[in-house]
Amino acid sequence: MSGHSVVQHFLTLRLLPALLVFSLAAERLAAEEVDVAGEQGASGLRVLLLQDYNTRVVLFGATVLGLASGVTGSFTLLRKRALTGDALSHASLPGVGLAFLLAPAMGVSPKSLSVLLTGAAISGMIGAATILFIRRLPRLKEDAALGIVLSVFFGGGVAILTVVQRTAEGHAAGLDSFIYGQTAAMTSGDAFVIAVTGLLTIAVLLAARRPLTLLCFDEGFAACRGYSTFLLDLLLMACVVLITMIGLRAVGLILMIALLIIPAAAARFWTESLPRMIVIAALIGGCSGFTGALISALAPGYPSGPVIVLVCGLLFFLSFLGGTSRGVLIRSVRRRRLNDSIDREHLLRGIWELREGDACGVSEPPSPAAGAEELLKIRSWSVSLLSRQILRAAREGLVFQRSDGAVVLTDRGRIVAERLVQNHRLWELYLITHADVAAGRVDREADAIEHVLEPELIERLKKLLYSRSAAPGIPSSPHPLESATPVVSEKLDTAEGGA
Amino acid sequence: MVFPKDIDECQAALRVQRRIGRGIWLLLLSVLIPAGCERRLVEESESGRIRIVASVGMVADLVRRLVDDDVEVSQMMGSGVDPHLYQATRDDIRSLISADLIVAVGLHLEGRLQDTFERLQKSRPVLFLGDSVPQDRLLAEEGSVGVPDPHLWMDVSLWSLGLAALEDQLCRLLPQATERISVRRVELERELLQLHEYGVRSVQTIPARRRVLVTSHDAFRYFGRAYGLEVLGIQGISTDSEAGLFRMNQLVDILVQREIAAVFVESSVPRRSIEALIEGAADRGVRVRIGGELFSDAMGPAGTFTGTYPGMLDHNLTTVALALGGQAPKRGHAGRLSAEGDEHE
Amino acid sequence: MSETAVPLSIRDLTVAWHRKPVIWDVEFDVSAGELVGIVGPNGAGKSTLLKSVMDLIPRVSGRIEIFGRPWKDQRQRVGYVPQRESVDWDFPVSVLDVVTMGLFGRIGWLRPVLKRHREAAQRALERVGMGEYADRQISQLSGGQQQRTFLARALVQEADLYLMDEPFAAVDAATEETIVEILREMRASGRTAIVIHHDLHTVPEYFDSVMMLNMRVVAQGKTEDVFTRENLERTYGGRLTLLEEATEAMRRQEKSL
Repeated sequence: MSGHSVVQHFLTLRLLPALLVFSLAAERLAAEEVDVAGEQGASGLRVLLLQDYNTRVVLFGATVLGLASGVTGSFTLLRKRALTGDALSHASLPGVGLAFLLAPAMGVSPKSLSVLLTGAAISGMIGAATILFIRRLPRLKEDAALGIVLSVFFGGGVAILTVVQRTAEGHAAGLDSFIYGQTAAMTSGDAFVIAVTGLLTIAVLLAARRPLTLLCFDEGFAACRGYSTFLLDLLLMACVVLITMIGLRAVGLILMIALLIIPAAAARFWTESLPRMIVIAALIGGCSGFTGALISALAPGYPSGPVIVLVCGLLFFLSFLGGTSRGVLIRSVRRRRLNDSIDREHLLRGIWELREGDACGVSEPPSPAAGAEELLKIRSWSVSLLSRQILRAAREGLVFQRSDGAVVLTDRGRIVAERLVQNHRLWELYLITHADVAAGRVDREADAIEHVLEPELIERLKKLLYSRSAAPGIPSSPHPLESATPVVSEKLDTAEGGA
Repeated sequence: MVFPKDIDECQAALRVQRRIGRGIWLLLLSVLIPAGCERRLVEESESGRIRIVASVGMVADLVRRLVDDDVEVSQMMGSGVDPHLYQATRDDIRSLISADLIVAVGLHLEGRLQDTFERLQKSRPVLFLGDSVPQDRLLAEEGSVGVPDPHLWMDVSLWSLGLAALEDQLCRLLPQATERISVRRVELERELLQLHEYGVRSVQTIPARRRVLVTSHDAFRYFGRAYGLEVLGIQGISTDSEAGLFRMNQLVDILVQREIAAVFVESSVPRRSIEALIEGAADRGVRVRIGGELFSDAMGPAGTFTGTYPGMLDHNLTTVALALGGQAPKRGHAGRLSAEGDEHE
Repeated sequence: MSETAVPLSIRDLTVAWHRKPVIWDVEFDVSAGELVGIVGPNGAGKSTLLKSVMDLIPRVSGRIEIFGRPWKDQRQRVGYVPQRESVDWDFPVSVLDVVTMGLFGRIGWLRPVLKRHREAAQRALERVGMGEYADRQISQLSGGQQQRTFLARALVQEADLYLMDEPFAAVDAATEETIVEILREMRASGRTAIVIHHDLHTVPEYFDSVMMLNMRVVAQGKTEDVFTRENLERTYGGRLTLLEEATEAMRRQEKSL
């Protein structure tokens, strides 16, 4: 990543949420009421400087969760199993309830977090195996498998929780909080579990990144290379289950899917390289966790889980708009630049072609020049477009305007125009003679046709071109030029061929 | 897998399979349907005892103390159950339908049962004890207008206000026991008054600046008002809402600045938020311990002293007084609290 | 030539998909240095045949030996070029990354990708004429370029037996020439290639032997002997033979259950 784009990423990812945080903090500070005990509540500045222990714990836990979710989500997104995370998180609910019910019989405390999470993990893994199994049955596809597992397991979980709530200790275990999450009551023990599990998951995924990449890209090839696709899928699902476990406390099982999908999907707009995508997804996830928890600390009444998800969604929206690789803005900028360069090309070519005939047989032809009305006729462009292009070309030293209003090519402009004309005609000739294959090759941005086609082919094309030309060194048009008839300018609607 | 030699063979095999399948279905249906019918018949043939259904234990206990033993008093929510979130099961509905009188707290404490109660009200008396408390003595939920705090039983004097209406309903239902009910009611009122005064006295022995009660949710505001304690809950009235990080930080500040020695966990609410609070204070060098487990939305286990209404309040008052540095008999006002002592972290 | 040197030997292969037979009683032998084309109509089971050779699809019966040993012992000696559509070309990898994937089995999970691996991948790319495209994103490739990338990925393994699933489908003439050239290089160096092909006109030109498949082997052998009009009719003809009628009846039976 070049230095410039690092700064760009940093600014977009950190600045905007930080602005959000600061503006909220300012609003809160202005509206702060004196609390019951008669003192000012935690001031915004103090929260931002992380002076509160509880804030630090929650921020740490939420950030690590976000980081790990981003990494895991990248692989599930590319494996096209993004929604499996949703089914798995819902499938972990019966495990929580059953762990609570069975714990006394096994001699462990039913309220212990690790016991409950182990139950959640086991139940989630059973859900994962069930999904993989149902998919292999005939007549049932992915979406049916997900729907079945999600609804049946979740329903079972709710039923078990109903039974649990009627027991003496039931509600005190706080099993409900697994569904919606309860971030603020995170203790250091919780944060420790999150850190260990999160880092373990990241380590496992990075260690297995090659087989997983192969699995996500080309399952058949992976299988024939000897990788067991079933086991790799199970490994990926196991990581999803682990992440879900630690996320249960933070955002709850219903919103867990957001952290798994959104950072990875947002990262896709910033890069075309897989390692970078994983890093960016981790950053977006971590930033969401951090910022969401921070906002929740700054203002009373904001539950952390949903705020984290909202921040995540905001970052996705910003990536969608401004992502440097595929964002809406960058695509429209590229498209405009492309159209602009096409227009300029048309101008230069247009001038040259208008005066092409004059150059025949003359050893030192004058610089090609054309009046505005002539130029208007060769293409269906408006006066304002034409004048804009003339000005831009003049700025780049390719043309200058004579006193009588005609547009004249400078020496540099003429060289560029000749090259453009040759290029254009070679491409046209290639299209005509190799019609069946040409479409996949023609690259409007490539000034050098030599880089795209084989040299022998270009030689053949040139021979064909020049054999028809009237003067040596100047390529003739493969088709009759009718400068009197306007040619509709070919603006591209999509930014194909963009750099 | 074997490809059958003969297509007819295949079809014959399929026919047999289908017959077996149908047979199994018939068998299942013949077992299940009669079983369902049977239950209903059994119920209607019960003896004609008067049935009273109470929503929570605090209500049921009052009812049981007033009526004779031959009246069937059942309680929907047991100890440890959170009434704010409780949803009626099919068994609950059945028992409500067959009740002659339903008694509940009201004021949306049993939030998810409100509709059910309103519907049942059309065919049998449903008494809300909360209705006996005059408007001006109700507390509103902190930060919101018009939503009353339903935790009335925390103030013994307020809770006794419901006895008049209760006696009235019971006498109407059990006309032959009217005298006995009246006598019991007077006794109960006296007992509760003494308990209330004990509470006020005990709290007054706590040094003034340490009269702060910190718990998981805002269930103790009437308690605080009645007995002179400043009350801080991590969450609001309903245990539905999430404890916000902002609130946690606020409370840690207060714990540290005012040097509060003990906080309290509740029997029917998860104790995680209290633990996080203690950690937060510990990080700033202030050691706060858990002063004990209080009963907030439900009483103690049935059959024990704390499983009764006076026992519940006795336990709460004694525990709080002792943990915050006041004086009270270790075995409580009635001398029946177990000597387990306070919980330590 | 001894048994152990035969690149591929298939006996009595029957593959069923959800109890419906897809290929039936296939018997097939390939000698080293042969270019074999497999032709047949859609749904004839050609891809299934390749996949069952690689144990990707379980088989009902039959024995497959690659250089005299079962598949799992010989994986390193077989290169596979799957169909282009089997992959989502929007994946965030570059051309060089895809070709390097062919070496993953050799590199192992945790060891780094060394320079010599990358160089091997680059050489494979140059062999297929994609040398300058190494850093290009695969989403920007044309169909022919995609096909050549897959080919390079198989070449980088330096296998002895290559299985290719419709490599000539919808590619431009230049790519087609490149692939044929590479196939002939392979033959010259004693390697074997089994290619699923769809364009009947070019079969005699490209392949020494051909196998005509339509659920069962209609004919196989040297192209000039076997690639006759009569065999073509039997492979592609619309008349159902008795065997196919029975299979149809069973399929109808399945649907009614």
